[in-house]
Amino acid sequence: MKILLVTQTRNKKGQAARTEQPLVADTLSIGRGTDCKLFLPDPRVALRHAQIRGADDGALYIEAAAGAISVDGSFERASRLRPDQRILIGPYEVIVAPPRQDFDLVLCVELIDPLREGVEEVRRKVQAGLQTTWLSKRLFSWTAVILILLAFLAWPVINATRPETRAASLKASITPDASWDVGPLASAHASFGHDCHKCHQQPFIQVKNQACEDCHKTIGWHFPLRTAAAKAVHAAVFPDIRCASCHRDHKGPNGLVRTDATLCTDCHRDLKARFAKTAVPDISDFTGDHPPFMLSMLQPGRSGDAAIVRVPQNDKVLARENSGLKFPHDKHLDKKGVRSPNGKVTLNCADCHVRDEAGIRFKPVTMKDHCQACHSLEFEPKVTTRQVPHGNVGNALATLNEFYAQAALADTPIDVVVEAGIRRPGERLSEARRQAALTWAADKADRIARDLFEVRVCFLCHQITRVAATTATADGLPVSWKVAPVAITRHWLPKSRFPHNQHDTFECDKCHQVTASRTSADIAIPDLKNCRECHGGNQPARDKARGTCETCHGFHTGSHKAGVPAIIPGGAQPGPIPTRETAAAPDGGAAK
Amino acid sequence: MRHQTILEYKRYRYLKLAVLLATASILAYALYTTPVGRYGGTPMGYTLGTVGALLILWLMWFGIRKRRYRGSSGNIQGWLSGHVYLGIALIVVATLHTGFQVGWNVHTLAYVLMLLVIFSGFYGLYAYLRVPQLMTENLGEDTLDSIILKIADIDREARRLAVGMPDNINLAIQESLQGTRIGGGVLAQLSGRAGNCPTAGAVTTIQAAVRQFRGDEARANKELYALMLRKQNLVERARIDIHYKAILDFWLYLHVPLSLALLAALTAHVVSVFFYW
Repeated sequence: MKILLVTQTRNKKGQAARTEQPLVADTLSIGRGTDCKLFLPDPRVALRHAQIRGADDGALYIEAAAGAISVDGSFERASRLRPDQRILIGPYEVIVAPPRQDFDLVLCVELIDPLREGVEEVRRKVQAGLQTTWLSKRLFSWTAVILILLAFLAWPVINATRPETRAASLKASITPDASWDVGPLASAHASFGHDCHKCHQQPFIQVKNQACEDCHKTIGWHFPLRTAAAKAVHAAVFPDIRCASCHRDHKGPNGLVRTDATLCTDCHRDLKARFAKTAVPDISDFTGDHPPFMLSMLQPGRSGDAAIVRVPQNDKVLARENSGLKFPHDKHLDKKGVRSPNGKVTLNCADCHVRDEAGIRFKPVTMKDHCQACHSLEFEPKVTTRQVPHGNVGNALATLNEFYAQAALADTPIDVVVEAGIRRPGERLSEARRQAALTWAADKADRIARDLFEVRVCFLCHQITRVAATTATADGLPVSWKVAPVAITRHWLPKSRFPHNQHDTFECDKCHQVTASRTSADIAIPDLKNCRECHGGNQPARDKARGTCETCHGFHTGSHKAGVPAIIPGGAQPGPIPTRETAAAPDGGAAK
Repeated sequence: MRHQTILEYKRYRYLKLAVLLATASILAYALYTTPVGRYGGTPMGYTLGTVGALLILWLMWFGIRKRRYRGSSGNIQGWLSGHVYLGIALIVVATLHTGFQVGWNVHTLAYVLMLLVIFSGFYGLYAYLRVPQLMTENLGEDTLDSIILKIADIDREARRLAVGMPDNINLAIQESLQGTRIGGGVLAQLSGRAGNCPTAGAVTTIQAAVRQFRGDEARANKELYALMLRKQNLVERARIDIHYKAILDFWLYLHVPLSLALLAALTAHVVSVFFYW
């Protein structure tokens, strides 16, 4: 087989140059092996890549050996050679040219994909420096800055400044300004806390008092502002003060109320330095200079603010209760018991002093609920179902009069009715006998009333004065009585809060020593010393409970006279407020 | 003279300044209290916050200052020393400003970003102090460029030798020549490793075939083996060099974007607390 190899090379400009090499071989071996007839010196070609040989049918075939060959675009194990076939062997292109005279096969060979090599080729596979990767400081920075400014600045600001946006966002579970929330709100505010605008009503303006007062309409000031002088003092004491000066929210469920002593002692430790004319004593600590408790005592026969006088507890003369009642605690709390309709009973504090619903203080002691079971107002020994009404002399006398008149006139079969005489059934009462019956009834009522008021019942607890009868008061009876006004002080220390239910671990007489009290003038309110047994002051102390100002006192108290209901019988003239001189015997004396 | 690190700059001038600042902040925080506690909204809180914000701006100015080669405000070594020490002091100032109150809000976001910036800075400081020495130990007299030149020489020689070798050897060499990548993506650069490195594969292939050759082929094979071993060593050193450079650079890809994110969050923080005053 005679073969002509035409090798084509190109210079840098792409111009082709050909060299022709005739050779004779039975088999044309192709490869990078130096012994190959078609020597293709490229590493990408196999040592023995392929071969071309004549077959028995006289045609020429190319066969792949150690390498792969592509004939006209498809990889073949072997292929019959035809003119114009394009065979790829590694980076070489071999074209089967049309047969020429003298040659069985003409092959045009060209290296079409020269091997890239050298430093540039190595460098091409080196990627050094993170700046060559997708990492980008600029991209990261811009992304972060834009996202943060949009989410945490632009969005909340737009939400805050556009009412319609705000209204819409409030319906969502999370509002745009939630990210601005500096901390959990007080428990009472948490329910509307997602609406920042409720309190923060104007941008860059501190929360105004009005925002607080929108809800807290009835909050009291530090002292009553009823007079111009009080208002002037208030303005001087609290210039430009904001609710938020003390009440800082976003400090947790219990963070809104200040409990530190300095809230009070900053001013009260030296109040005279600020207000020379003040009558309020200086105080800096409960354990130190706290003055004796001031009792707010109810004065009988007065009403409203005038009914209350403030008396220092340690004033032995003034600090005597003038309730208008006689009540010896010692007799009632006698260990041997007291007489009652059901025999002897031993009374306890709680039999009369019943805790109010809040458990903080006590319900009023009333005649009906607490006294009358023993101190019955029965008047007729034979008729135990009837009692005179309590609380009004006229009503009581009228009841007596009516009762005996009814008995006499209607011939009621009670054996007391003897004066009206016996009538036959159906017999009409003559005028003379009717008058006699009424006279008997009035006499009887008068006798019973004197016994009731002056000897047996009313006199026991009340201060009773016999007065001339008037038609209005005595209902036709010859005499009437005046009962001294009753004023039972319900809150002795209204400027403090004392939750009884938090002191349930103690017996009553730990603080209220009444077992030896013989008179209602005794005031059994515990004093400073008593409280100090358990309570410390501003500084935490070993074995002592908390005792800062706020433990007992509030700031927004308004008035010591506020909220003190009094039991004051109406109609009586107010008596003079006792002074040291007039207060010799505030009580009518111990019960007999 | 011993090399002076930025930490020792001017006899620890900025360390002293930072300690002074931190101590003053702690003392002020401890001594000043209000009835409503210690937090960012008290006069002391505002003061610490202002100091902290100014510090942040000054620390960030370093990013601009270091590019100004003709800056007149002190040399860059001093700036970096101050940047490091005052950056650490900032942790104290800002933490006291928070009053140790954190929450899921933009305020804590700013604080956390600040901590991330500072801690990424710690890593950067470690890298700057440690890695250059490791790089020198790794490269010796070489540079990455000289290693590339050497690899190119080896490749040329190997190719010449391999052409005459059996196909499997030639193929292995070929793969080493064409497929050996140095560096690459983020992970490749950071790890300094490449899985299935063709050069390592070539070393193994050549070693395994060593007994099947005689004469010239055996000599050529041995020569190829030596070449590939040398190349493997060079490639590994180049990769480690890139790994070190990546370590030196990578923290900045956190430090810089995080610090700008901090600036944005700080802006939102300051605006928000006064917007809802």
